[in-house]
Amino acid sequence: MGSSIRKAVELILSADPELLNILSTTARVCLSSSILALIIGVPLGILFGAERFPGRRVLLVLNRTLIGMPPVVCGLLFYMLFSGVGPFRHLHLLFTVKLMIIAQVVLITPIIIGVMETFVADTAPALRETARGLGFGRMKEYRLLINECLYSIFSSYLLSFARAIAEVGAVAMVGGAIAWKTNVMTTAIMMYTNRGSFTLGIALGLILLSLSLLVNIILSVMQGRLSR
Amino acid sequence: MKKIVSLMLALVMFFALAVCGQSTAPAFAAAEEPAPAEEAAPVEEPARETDAVVVDTCILLEADDAMINNYSLLAVNPEAPWVDADGNPVSDVAINTVGAAALINWLLSEEGQELAANYGFEEYGEYLFYLKDDRPVSTAEIPAATEENRLIRLSTTTSVNDSGLLGYMLPIFEEKYGYEVEVYSAGTGKSIANAKMGNADLILVHSKKQEEAFIADGFSCVIDGMEAERLNWMYNYFVLCGPSADPAGVKDAADVKAAFAAIAEGKFPFISRGDGSGTHTKELSLWPEELGITAEAESFKDYTDWYISANTGMGACLVMAEEMNAYILTDKATFLTFVANDGVMG
Repeated sequence: MGSSIRKAVELILSADPELLNILSTTARVCLSSSILALIIGVPLGILFGAERFPGRRVLLVLNRTLIGMPPVVCGLLFYMLFSGVGPFRHLHLLFTVKLMIIAQVVLITPIIIGVMETFVADTAPALRETARGLGFGRMKEYRLLINECLYSIFSSYLLSFARAIAEVGAVAMVGGAIAWKTNVMTTAIMMYTNRGSFTLGIALGLILLSLSLLVNIILSVMQGRLSR
Repeated sequence: MKKIVSLMLALVMFFALAVCGQSTAPAFAAAEEPAPAEEAAPVEEPARETDAVVVDTCILLEADDAMINNYSLLAVNPEAPWVDADGNPVSDVAINTVGAAALINWLLSEEGQELAANYGFEEYGEYLFYLKDDRPVSTAEIPAATEENRLIRLSTTTSVNDSGLLGYMLPIFEEKYGYEVEVYSAGTGKSIANAKMGNADLILVHSKKQEEAFIADGFSCVIDGMEAERLNWMYNYFVLCGPSADPAGVKDAADVKAAFAAIAEGKFPFISRGDGSGTHTKELSLWPEELGITAEAESFKDYTDWYISANTGMGACLVMAEEMNAYILTDKATFLTFVANDGVMG
């Protein structure tokens, strides 16, 4: 452990260009995918939580199943679809950062929908009563609901960011861990492990965890302020 | 705002502390994990130190003709009988043949060959790859990259990538001609599968059997100026490694097949890659036939007490062999890298 910590610090201090490239790719992939998933997932989650419509229960069960989708299966699916012989071959997206983001959005959105749905389903009935009592219109009712949800939106974002940064199965399949292009922290750790350089793997793991810690601290502070 | 800044500062300080603690006072590490440190730290620490420095696994048998390790280049055929996952034919698969030909011509040119042949001597005191005497040589002019063919997708085996050969050679090619080479590195089996899915323009692998199947299936083509699909240009040797005590006595074996028979006879632990890689394919061909060991898990289910199918990369397998005092077949380049880094593969 000691040598890994030393190695991690050495790596950061040396500002190794390959490490910096891996870090920036990681940041690009997991920030974009978690934010995109948030944009798609929050409205859907609120809809599922607040409204009652036919087929809602079926969709919810499907969503819960998707939450449990193994990343490597998701990756394999996208690999097949975007392969040179796959149906979407003309898009030339395999082994690009874009496809890694898309695959992660597919993995993460169900989680956000699930978290938001649970919260909204709990809050919406009481809030709706209040809103109706005050004579609010539908738009105003939703605005009130979103205001009420801010804290959970942050929570669900933290969850999805964690999933994105920790995920390896899907990004390894669709990204191919190509150096200087699609290699992210988790795939680099896997590569070093396969090579038998466990110390370097742990060192990268420590860097990844500290970055995650930093992002979480910032977001938690923001969460505390916004929802006060 | 103040809060954030102070939190960040705290974090930075925490790291600084951790670093100083590590380098100046080893006691700091012990303080982090008080329970195991109290009982085991004084004994365990020095033992681990010596383990890290001395790699016990050593080369026991090498330079046997049965263990030659041939690396070949194959250009992917754009007109190959492509089929999608359901077996339906696919016609318009985008393959960058011009780029693949450029890279092959450069690797087989005087410049490329010289680079490959000299690689590793400075770092390891030994050449890691040798050029075949009957290698194809290219004198073709290499066109500079254009917008359409700039990106070359090379699907290759881990040994050429992990040994650093590609990282050493490709930047020179990219710089000179403006191409960009994307290296997809996996075991030979997976590399070839990746190419068959239309995701590579050329492959650089080391398993004759799988290469010939790839050609027979029509996935490779002859590039201009070459005589065959399979361009076997460099080689090195697989080496049989094991604990220096050598309980199976493979050092004195008549040849490599006898050595493998001795390992099986005495049921000495053997680590197999088990991942369909070139090394795995070679290893399977060296066991006595009556054992019937193949790539199928079923075939070695009676040998699990000594035959360990690890299903992982070469480096990780070497670490395992070192830990378990096991025998292992490896390419020499990876083994030298492993030893040069004191068994941790930096």
